[in-house]
Amino acid sequence: MKSIYFTLKYFAITLWSMFVIAPFLWALSTSFKDFNSVTGGATYIPWLQFEPSLEGWKVLVRSPAKGGVDIIEPYFNSIFVTCTASLISIMLGTLAAYALSRFTFKAGIIKNNDITFFFISQRIMPPIVLSIPFFLMLGFLGLLDSLFGLILVYIVLLMPIAVWIMVDFFNKVPKEIDETALIDGCNPYQAFIKVVIPNSIPGLIVAVLFCIIFGWIDFFFAFILTFTEVQLLPVKIVALNSSVTPWWSLSASALVSVAPLVVVAFIVERYLSKGNLSGALK
Amino acid sequence: MAKIEFKNVGHSYDQTAKHPVYALKPFSLSWEDGGRYALLGPSGCGKTTMLNIISGLITPSEGNVFFNDQNITSVKTEQRNIAQVFQFPVIYNTMSVYDNLAFPLKCRKFSESHIRKKVNEVAEILNLSSVIDSGAKRLTADQKQLISLGRGLVREDVAAVLMDEPLTVIDPDLKFKLRRKLKEINSKYKTTLIYVTHDQNEAMTFAEKIIVMDSGQIVQRGSSKELFERPSTTFVAYFIGSPAMNIFNCSIANNELILGKFKLKIDKNPDQITSNDLKVGIRSEFIDLSDKPKENSIHVKIKSNEDFGNYKLLTCEFDNLEIKVKIKREQNVTSETTYLILSKNRLCLYEKEKLIN
Ligand SMILES: Nc1ncnc2c1ncn2[C@@H]1O[C@H](COP(=O)(O)OP(=O)(O)O)[C@@H](O)[C@H]1O
Ligand SMILES: [Mg+2]
Repeated sequence: MKSIYFTLKYFAITLWSMFVIAPFLWALSTSFKDFNSVTGGATYIPWLQFEPSLEGWKVLVRSPAKGGVDIIEPYFNSIFVTCTASLISIMLGTLAAYALSRFTFKAGIIKNNDITFFFISQRIMPPIVLSIPFFLMLGFLGLLDSLFGLILVYIVLLMPIAVWIMVDFFNKVPKEIDETALIDGCNPYQAFIKVVIPNSIPGLIVAVLFCIIFGWIDFFFAFILTFTEVQLLPVKIVALNSSVTPWWSLSASALVSVAPLVVVAFIVERYLSKGNLSGALK
Repeated sequence: MAKIEFKNVGHSYDQTAKHPVYALKPFSLSWEDGGRYALLGPSGCGKTTMLNIISGLITPSEGNVFFNDQNITSVKTEQRNIAQVFQFPVIYNTMSVYDNLAFPLKCRKFSESHIRKKVNEVAEILNLSSVIDSGAKRLTADQKQLISLGRGLVREDVAAVLMDEPLTVIDPDLKFKLRRKLKEINSKYKTTLIYVTHDQNEAMTFAEKIIVMDSGQIVQRGSSKELFERPSTTFVAYFIGSPAMNIFNCSIANNELILGKFKLKIDKNPDQITSNDLKVGIRSEFIDLSDKPKENSIHVKIKSNEDFGNYKLLTCEFDNLEIKVKIKREQNVTSETTYLILSKNRLCLYEKEKLIN
């Protein structure tokens, strides 16, 4: 009985891993092909039997003047914008979430939950609704087509995620933890920094992960709010497309653009175990 | 150490409401320095609210709190020198046992050598020395609760150690040991201990003085003997003791108490009784059996006889009323009826649910 369960479990896991890994392998193999290998097809082994070519990768670093699409600068722009916006969103969002979780706010009929919902509602709205106001506001501030402008917009987009995740997390951290810290002689700020934050690392990691993912994959606002001065990776990758779809360079760029997320996922994976996500009391 | 005093302290959680509901109705009370108190009452009667007012986590909506005659009502928790242990162990998961115990001293900027000395001393008392360097997260529930307690004990100057049902998560055997340890600590360091519980046995065995609460009010304050023998309200009479006190409606006529068809002598002056909402109570422990009628005896039918090992509990009936009697286990009861002696100095008379003294 036990061995059947064991076999089934591993069978399921194997199946699922293949499902997840296959597209990566496919992209990897395609990125080393050229036009003929992609369209010609292989005689025996589909993914392995072809003449390798580095053309798909070289296009990504060649300057536009030589017919390439240089993604190096957009790549670092994307990393910079995503990290900065995520960091600021997490800091502000965590403070806001702590306040929403621990203190009672009341303005007429508006209470804590309504404020929390207001934050989330920013993400429920279709982004298109925000595009014109953002465009006009950044234009007014002279921040269109600039890294700083993008960071501002991304903070607006990412902070609700941070607030949402952290409110939920803080609600699960018993308030007795904070109270104990006060009793032990911390003032409320010290209690937050020394006790609440260290106990909230798992929640913070989840929030960071979500902010980074949502910041990294945004195409819409990066496309609308930038022109020539500043470009982000997703927008630049689209520029790869031409009348003949360059599958090889598209595959290569797909791989380099998921790479940072994969790295982040490997780093935080250990914190995402179930035990870590439950509250501080057990 | 300090004497703690409440003057007309009351609290309502929603002060904006038109008719505020008191979680704690205004009252005055003082806790003597170095005393060992239990706060006893059913769930939701306001025990936690009272502790949180002492520690400053809640500012009372009415009245003032004094430590050693100093009004500290608006002093913040972190400046109050109170230790509080909650129902579930609260530990700093990310720190070691040592750092957990040292935390209150570090916050107060004591020297490193003083901290080490105190922490080791307290760890010794609480049998935590062997795990002092391990991460606090890995310990068992009762060790964690000891850490919570230890954080209160490392500070020499605490005004009081407040414990909110601290032994709930701990298994019965250890509970007993810990209660004894707490008593030891109390007599060694002369720390004022206030212990909240809804378990009467815990309160009785732990405290010198028990404060009984019901729906936001203090109903009685006294030693376990006083609470047991002279419960000041019928609530206390029901709440304390197992089984609860036998209580019956009754009336007074010709200086005698009328209980069903029986007339009983009482040691109270009936003139002081004005209302006819009158009850009489007697503990099942204080009733004696007799084969023949005697003074203050009632004739009853025995309905059941349960053996609890260390005692027997008789359930008797008269006039459709039930009365429980605790007798020694050696005592054999064979007959179907018996006389119960309700001696007059054991009878408690309640007028409008309050004891007549
Ligand atoms: N934070 C709160 N907000 C509103 N009402 C509360 C709050 N905490 C407790 N109460 C109410 O106050 C009363 C007393 O609660 P509490 O002091 O926790 O009782 P106990 O500790 O004796 O079980 C209860 O009726 C409870 O519902
Ligand atoms: Mg409580």
